[in-house]
Amino acid sequence: MSKRIDVRDLRVVYAERGDSFTALDGVSFSVEPGEFVSVIGASGCGKSTLLAVLEGLLPPESGSVSVDGEQVSGPGPERSVVFQQYSLFPWMTALGNVEFALGQARPDLKRKERRELAGEYLKKVALEGFENRFPKELSGGQQQRVAIARALAEDGEVLLMDEPFGAIDARNRALLQDLLLELWEGEAGASRKTVVFVTHDLEEAILLSDRIIMMEPGRVRAVFDVPLPRPRHRLSLLQDPAYVAFRGELAKIFFENEYQEVHSA
Amino acid sequence: MSIEAQGAVAVAPAGKATGWRKRDHADSRAARAAAKAASRPRSALTWRERLLTPTSALFVVFLASLAFPAHTSKDPQVPYALAVGASVWLVGAAGSLAARKRATRDTLADVTAIILGVLAAWQLATAAFNVLPEKMFPAPGIVFAQIVADHVKIGQGIASSLGIVAQGFLLGTAVALVLGLTLGFGARSSKATEKVVAFLSAIPPIVYIPYGIALLPTFRASSVLVIFLATLWPVLTATLAGVSNVDSRILDSARVLNVGRVKTLTRVVLPSALPLIFNGLNIALCLSFILLTSAEMIGGSIGMGYYVKYYSDFGDYTRIMAGIIVIGVVITMISALLARLQHRLTRWK
Repeated sequence: MSKRIDVRDLRVVYAERGDSFTALDGVSFSVEPGEFVSVIGASGCGKSTLLAVLEGLLPPESGSVSVDGEQVSGPGPERSVVFQQYSLFPWMTALGNVEFALGQARPDLKRKERRELAGEYLKKVALEGFENRFPKELSGGQQQRVAIARALAEDGEVLLMDEPFGAIDARNRALLQDLLLELWEGEAGASRKTVVFVTHDLEEAILLSDRIIMMEPGRVRAVFDVPLPRPRHRLSLLQDPAYVAFRGELAKIFFENEYQEVHSA
Repeated sequence: MSIEAQGAVAVAPAGKATGWRKRDHADSRAARAAAKAASRPRSALTWRERLLTPTSALFVVFLASLAFPAHTSKDPQVPYALAVGASVWLVGAAGSLAARKRATRDTLADVTAIILGVLAAWQLATAAFNVLPEKMFPAPGIVFAQIVADHVKIGQGIASSLGIVAQGFLLGTAVALVLGLTLGFGARSSKATEKVVAFLSAIPPIVYIPYGIALLPTFRASSVLVIFLATLWPVLTATLAGVSNVDSRILDSARVLNVGRVKTLTRVVLPSALPLIFNGLNIALCLSFILLTSAEMIGGSIGMGYYVKYYSDFGDYTRIMAGIIVIGVVITMISALLARLQHRLTRWK
């Protein structure tokens, strides 16, 4: 079953040597079951902090995060995570990394079943033939594919992605976005995952999401519904007037504020 | 199998298939073989390159050194020297033929050449021209003959020494890993352990011998204690460093994968720290052998150090040199084993 996420009045303060910095203040939003939501903002606006709280890696100062009504107090099996980079275990092969995650999520599996299933997840992310490579022998894009396969293998109802394609070159980023779109749109109904996707890339957010949460430092500035039907395709979107108009509107709000920030300083 | 031979096999059907249906297929095979050869042109060694190595050149020099008539009072035991020299050359030549990379072949050829050069110089300086004092520096053949004659005694000595090192080293490593992983993982316990270990590891383990002899029943047990301590501190220091160096992103990954505490230590922290742990293991092994041979020379009644010490009391330099050579060879072999293990376990790095 897909699960919903509720974020209520979140406040996160980093304290260091007497100085304290409020990274998030009064952040509230909900994500519907099976919904794909992007969190977008400039670096330093707290979007990665927000995701760390959702992952359960960072306890908030106040406020709460709950998944299907259950309060988040640490990492949990219902939430799978894809980090930006270097999150694979470098001493395990691509297959070994996925197998390890499977072993965590489904300890009931026999060794052989686990191996086969891990191979299938690698196939899903188009990494057949790379099973026995170590992460250092894979490109950045391939490493992120393994990270996605690993998160899928964990099979949490919620998928949290923290700028997963941020360090990938433009062409491979597009391929990875298409892959993610295909995998996510391919799962219909109750098995569709609830996704929170952090990015600083406007086009990426529009292409992938149902809703976009735009952040400014420490707060949610605005939330937008993406008025585009699914399934979506990168190339046909480019000529879609609805897409062009929406992107223009969003870019205006997104960059106008940055512009004012820079020039009023 | 040389690259040219592979190329030749692949090219032949390509030529035969010209103008034939299977041409595309054969062409692509030839192209692939050619691409393979082109991608590794440096490794394409000819037979001449494989056999005309420094090893072979120095082997000829060595043979020449054996041909000089002996000027010494003792029989220089030329057949023994020849057997050892020929074995070194054979190892070098066989390795050269089997080597897949030019760098491997070069290293092997150079090292065996150096050994043969030293043997030749040794033979010339002793048996041939007698420029070194004969009593202290016997000819190589005499020493090798002595090793063969004493092989039972030497074998027992090696077995005893290696047994002690194995016990102390394995026990020390096990304790160091358990302590290092458990104490090193917590930020606070890690700092305290680091300081305490810095003090304890400053004390040379050999000074505990009086306590070892007073408290433990045998010399062997005291030796194991010394080797245990000689291993414990360097490996514990290295493990603490390795554990505190684990990438936080790796630990975050383990946390979001809901990996339990013990499993995090054994399956995530330990492999992650392994490259640094091996630094400690290498130091510990080296230290263990130094301490053990010293201990055997001081108070042992068996072992490689004892063999050298015992015959030095009689001024038997043939056996002293035999002991030195055997000790060097054995320790080098054990270190090479550890290096292999390190390569296997950290090839992901």
